[in-house]
Amino acid sequence: MPVFKTPFNGYSVKFSPFYESRLAVATAQNFGILGNGRIHVLDLSPTAPTLSQLVSFDTADGVYDLSWSESHDSLLVAATADGSVKIYDTALPPTANPIRSLHEHTREVHSTDYNPTRRDSFLTASWDDTIKLWTVDRPTSVRTFKEHAYCVYNAAWNPRHSDVFCSASGDCTLRIWDVREAGSTMIIPAHEFEILACDWNKYDDCVIASASVDKSIKLWDVRNYRVPITVLNGHGYAVRRVKFSPHRRNVLASCSYDMTVCLWDFMVEDALVARYDHHTEFAVGVDMSVLVEGLLASTGWDELVYVWQQGMDPRAV
Amino acid sequence: MEKALNRQKILLQHLKPTSFSSSQTDQSPSLSASICAAGDSAAYHRQAVFSDDVVLVAAYRTAICKAKRGGFKNTHADDLLAHVLKALIEKTKLNPSEVGDIVVGTVLAPGSLRAMECRMAAFYAGVPETVPIRTVNRQCSSGLQAVADVATAIKAGLYDIGIGAGLECMTVDSMGSHRQINPKVEIFAQARDCLLPMGITSENVAQRYGVTRQEQDLAAVESHRRAAAATASGKFKDEIIPVSTKIVDPKTGSEKPVTISVDDSIRPNTNMADLAKLKPAFKKDGATTAGNSSQLSDGAGAVLLMKRSVAMQKGLPILGVFRSFSAVGVDPAVMGIGPAVAIPAAVRSAGLELSDIDLFEINEAFASQYVYCCKKLELDPEIVNVNGGAIALGHPLGATGARCVATLLHEMKRRGKDCRFGVISMCIGSGMGAAAVFERGDCVDELCNVRIVESNALLSKDAQ
Repeated sequence: MPVFKTPFNGYSVKFSPFYESRLAVATAQNFGILGNGRIHVLDLSPTAPTLSQLVSFDTADGVYDLSWSESHDSLLVAATADGSVKIYDTALPPTANPIRSLHEHTREVHSTDYNPTRRDSFLTASWDDTIKLWTVDRPTSVRTFKEHAYCVYNAAWNPRHSDVFCSASGDCTLRIWDVREAGSTMIIPAHEFEILACDWNKYDDCVIASASVDKSIKLWDVRNYRVPITVLNGHGYAVRRVKFSPHRRNVLASCSYDMTVCLWDFMVEDALVARYDHHTEFAVGVDMSVLVEGLLASTGWDELVYVWQQGMDPRAV
Repeated sequence: MEKALNRQKILLQHLKPTSFSSSQTDQSPSLSASICAAGDSAAYHRQAVFSDDVVLVAAYRTAICKAKRGGFKNTHADDLLAHVLKALIEKTKLNPSEVGDIVVGTVLAPGSLRAMECRMAAFYAGVPETVPIRTVNRQCSSGLQAVADVATAIKAGLYDIGIGAGLECMTVDSMGSHRQINPKVEIFAQARDCLLPMGITSENVAQRYGVTRQEQDLAAVESHRRAAAATASGKFKDEIIPVSTKIVDPKTGSEKPVTISVDDSIRPNTNMADLAKLKPAFKKDGATTAGNSSQLSDGAGAVLLMKRSVAMQKGLPILGVFRSFSAVGVDPAVMGIGPAVAIPAAVRSAGLELSDIDLFEINEAFASQYVYCCKKLELDPEIVNVNGGAIALGHPLGATGARCVATLLHEMKRRGKDCRFGVISMCIGSGMGAAAVFERGDCVDELCNVRIVESNALLSKDAQ
């Protein structure tokens, strides 16, 4: 299965929503603590199991996350550790990039998510406790959502309602927001420890998954949020990222500080479908391809990017 | 810095192994950042991969053959060089016109004549007239100096691709014919010592540092044993370029075409008893014999170096990274101790400790100095000259450095990821030592990022 070695520590990997063979990787030097960052745009070879680099962009600080534009096949949004949000056009040479650098967050930007339904805006979640809403054409943010009491690690759009998103924070709450409303519409005290990630189910717009430092993933129904639908235990350390399958209603992927990537089916009793232990350091980035069913990608602090088909061994040559 | 500490704090909080649902983790100690204690090389601050690193993508040599009696006794020196240059270009599919310079280490042959022969060899190898070539002479380390010179020029940006080579034909050129000597040397003791026969300097080392005849013979036996084992298991096949040449029968004068692809000076049955019978070669009561000294040989080697970015672009495998080179001076009377001084210098300038080095290739000019250097640096004999050295393989002076690079890099490749840093060193007649540090190429094993992108529709035209 294809493997790519990045010079810096991996932080995030995302498949392009336009090209089935393309993906982007966010990396940061020295584990994102100190140093530069780099974004790699990679292409899977149609014939050989190799990943080749199309282009890379250097940044002055680590890149923690990125998301592809849903409206333009060459646009990328990057969340960087110096608090800036940068927009890259992969069709332009590195010297002409980034095409925008938006400085509003006062601390590290930890995640970004492009609106998949309206396709004109994106969210950024930052360690300055805020979430900001942006559009590509405006030089300043459209709105700032400030309610969380600690770092916001993740924000994710609802796949059906173009104004609704959820956010995960170190203040141990999960919040649901509607852009049309003044404040958050729902606060779920989902875990007793920091929450590092959240995602919406792609087939049921009421189901959210939250991933926490308490090693568990919990699934919530927003119509009845007092108790979780189910709790997925199995990771040995904090769960860093969670992602619902674009193809299967019940399937989600997660990655953790325990260096593994797990696939879950939350509707069955033995929820853990597969555990991949190919990374040798913290696994912090995972994604599932929208265009190719069962195609997974992961990255971690071991500076490796793996792409593999569900059921196969990522390390198999 | 405060920012880094804050980031570290936030990430460490993610790792606090506290889980309210399970009680057995209550006693687990709290986590804090500390220096990683894992593994040997972990102590070394990990260097990032830079696109302007100087990398070695190929290293080949001819077989090393006995002077006057061996396989190359009727082969022209320039033919030897031409063969390795040609193989280097063919095996890497390099366009020779892209080479910025060729530097050849060579010692005994008359300087200007040899420079011309090298230029001719380049033509025999199919190198176009536009590519320059020059020679370098730092005695026994000339081959390594050639590699270092090319690496330096690439690092300085003078060109992107270069070849470091070495050539010596001791069948034709011999040591020891001095021209008229300046009488001033009698006043300068160290200048006079430069004229000492090398064998005497070996005796000096043995005497001054107490290396016994038995230790020297033992080193010679081990050298032959390891070289024989390496040859038998085909380890040298990756690095040796077979040379088609001829051998003339001295009695009948008839020519016979041959292909030389094996080192012919190794004696697998060398043993202590036989070596003990040999008489000292340089001094009546000495310990240096023909059996525990390096052999006179013919041979050539060549190494292709380039910038990492160029290697990636061309899809060439990265065999190793050139990390540092040091040449140092020592007392000419004990010139053999050179490696004991040069190795720590080179290792230090690479930012490493001696204990970080996983493999050594130290030239065995004489068993006395080789044994002394290993003892002085407290090296583990299991990682020094694992495939034998010059006592068994021979020491074609100018070519030895390039030969060592080929042997070291291919052995590092075989040993895999645990073998990260390698050192090559040799002593230098007239009192010097040279050493270089190489790091394995990080993508040698299973990872292969290097691939030429056939179509890059994404990049705009001016970016191509």
